[in-house]
Amino acid sequence: MTPTQEQELWMYRHMVVSRFFEETIETIYMEGKTPAFNMAKGPIPGEMHLSNGQEPCAVGVCAHLNSDDIVVSTHRPHHVAIAKGVDLKKMAAEIFGKKTGLSGGRGGHMHIFDAHVNFSCSGIIGESVGVAAGAALSRKMQGKPGVAVAYLGEGAANQGAFHEALNLAAVWKLPVVFVIEDNAWGISVSKQASTAVKYNSDRASAYSMPGVHIPNNDPIEIFAKAGEAIERARNGEGPTLIEIETSRLAGHFMGDAEAYRPAGEKEHLAEIDPIPGFKKRLQDQYQWTEAQDEALRGQARELVDAAIQFARDSDYPAPEEALDKVFV
Amino acid sequence: MTQVQAKARKLTIARAMAESIAMEMRTDDKVFVMGEDIGELGGVFGNTRGLYKEFGSERVKDTPISETAFIGAAVGAASDGMKPIVELMFVDFFGVCFDAIYNMMAKNTYFSGGEVNVPMVLMTSTGGGYSDGGQHSQCLHATFAHLPGMKVVAPSNAYDAKGLMTAAIRDPNPVIFMFHKALQGMGWLGTEKDAIVNVPEEVYEVPLGKAAITRTGSDVTIVGITSGVHHGLKAARELEQQGVSAEVVDLRSLVPLDRDTVIQSVRKTGRLIVVDEDYHSYGMTAEIIASVTEAGVPMKAPPQRVAYPDIPIPFTPVMEQWALPSAEKIVKAFAKMKENE
Amino acid sequence: MSTDVLVPHDLWEEDDEAVITSWLVNDGSEVSEGDMIAELMVAKIQYELLAPTSGTLSIQKDIDDVVAKGDCVATIA
Repeated sequence: MTPTQEQELWMYRHMVVSRFFEETIETIYMEGKTPAFNMAKGPIPGEMHLSNGQEPCAVGVCAHLNSDDIVVSTHRPHHVAIAKGVDLKKMAAEIFGKKTGLSGGRGGHMHIFDAHVNFSCSGIIGESVGVAAGAALSRKMQGKPGVAVAYLGEGAANQGAFHEALNLAAVWKLPVVFVIEDNAWGISVSKQASTAVKYNSDRASAYSMPGVHIPNNDPIEIFAKAGEAIERARNGEGPTLIEIETSRLAGHFMGDAEAYRPAGEKEHLAEIDPIPGFKKRLQDQYQWTEAQDEALRGQARELVDAAIQFARDSDYPAPEEALDKVFV
Repeated sequence: MTQVQAKARKLTIARAMAESIAMEMRTDDKVFVMGEDIGELGGVFGNTRGLYKEFGSERVKDTPISETAFIGAAVGAASDGMKPIVELMFVDFFGVCFDAIYNMMAKNTYFSGGEVNVPMVLMTSTGGGYSDGGQHSQCLHATFAHLPGMKVVAPSNAYDAKGLMTAAIRDPNPVIFMFHKALQGMGWLGTEKDAIVNVPEEVYEVPLGKAAITRTGSDVTIVGITSGVHHGLKAARELEQQGVSAEVVDLRSLVPLDRDTVIQSVRKTGRLIVVDEDYHSYGMTAEIIASVTEAGVPMKAPPQRVAYPDIPIPFTPVMEQWALPSAEKIVKAFAKMKENE
Repeated sequence: MSTDVLVPHDLWEEDDEAVITSWLVNDGSEVSEGDMIAELMVAKIQYELLAPTSGTLSIQKDIDDVVAKGDCVATIA
């Protein structure tokens, strides 16, 4: 399955938007946090897990989804949320803890919910898989179209929930796709040190489903393989497990000293940054010009700036609103 | 906690925990540590710093993100004569591994008629106040303390942290060691100066199940644990300005619970405020008030609790800071008691 | 005679300012050369400040104070 030029541009644009968004968040996160790095301070308090480098995992999969399909993401959710079409302004406002945020400031960066596009995520490792399987079950039981996609990190594949959900999805032939973003590190512990198999995709064979390994963080390859898996799910042929070797260009969270990385790893990852790679592909394939690239970047920048401005300009909720929405 | 040392050395809670573990590991080769990022990184909250360098990867074991497996493994190893210390990075993550904890770790001694000991320590971080959202900010004291078969301790300062950890490692029973993130002295979660106190260099134990009178007073007893103690101390200082003498009791242990110290204190003061960053309902605050009431202690006013509202912990600082216990809320609770007298 | 306890220029790489996150000895207590006496934080990383000499420590900068390399944070007499 190969993307059309239009689809490639859609993927590239969303990667660029996502990167601008993360870079902007990165800068603002440090406001009020220097020289004392107090996590509670600044316009964006709390932990911050940036997705720089992992954008291909988001766009290559979400390019095949519409707003009716379901995505359940992880504690590192921004890139996937953007590719799934989550309202960028409301997401930014949520990350700032504002009243206009997706949950009115109750959730924050690890708890992005946008019911309009069927997106959610959670800060609990490995919990996306069961929820996605259940959403897929619901569609099947209701006879409604739509597939579910669960994102998880490579570390989450060592959780029981992962194995239980894969088995369940296979036994019940659910329209779900499990996407592992293998960024090689679970905070400071390497995949190699924590995982008995080289490729988590090999584990699919234990649950009689296809296991697909994508080694190079290549959005085109991800598009192709995810497209096949999603088509399989839509056709009622059951689940697929995909593992993508991707890059976490930043730390696990903001403020991570990353002393655990081998010398030169960060530099190497910067060299294989997927965004310049995609740009080059567009230049080679479609005579993509610098002017076109500038225009696309300008639009992406405007989109991000508008979202951030919206977040900054929005009011905080009233403190007592904390008591609302526990139940409906 | 006021032993004067020639050098009057102080430690943070993070360093005190690591020091205690290191000292036990030096003298008892059955003690070992497992958890996520507790090796070279030294623990996300600094409480295993230096252990990997001193003892190596055989005894300081980074695990996969597999709490069910490695906490279950600790139960098995402890039952077979080892003394594992495991870390559950955030207490909020207990859901995935609670069977290993409350159905295995906490019950195997009983099921074996006391034949099988489970001498393990499960250390886990608690607490919020820094906008980490509702899956990384809970205390859940009562969730653990409610279930029989495991001891539960939670220090408010570095002296207690070292002594409780030593006692916990040596105890033949499973012990949950809850440490509040904001008291760790890691800097990036703010700094509570009162938690950084003098700590002897030698080994010592703080007995499990013994509360401490952190501040003596005669008009009201403020009972707390971890962060609640510090809110209580700040409130006591404010109340002092109003001419009110507040006694602050640091429970230190939830299981066993030192009801006697609390009851004696309330007999003296006649007033009781209980502070807990854990949820309001069905929690430690209710347990303390019930215990004092059951003991028939005469009180001058209905007891009060200052605890977390029964809501998931909100992210945005305006909501979270509003919901957290504070010295101000304790002072208000006292004022309310006085109105009712 | 007293010795200034200065923030060493090689304690961390860049020239960022730091924050004192803990004093690990009481003000006015005895310290020995090489004792860890304080922790400083730059970004999210803590660095250990060691006593440059032996004597009685007099703390000049408090917890949460911002300090730069070369700043005097205490004296030892």
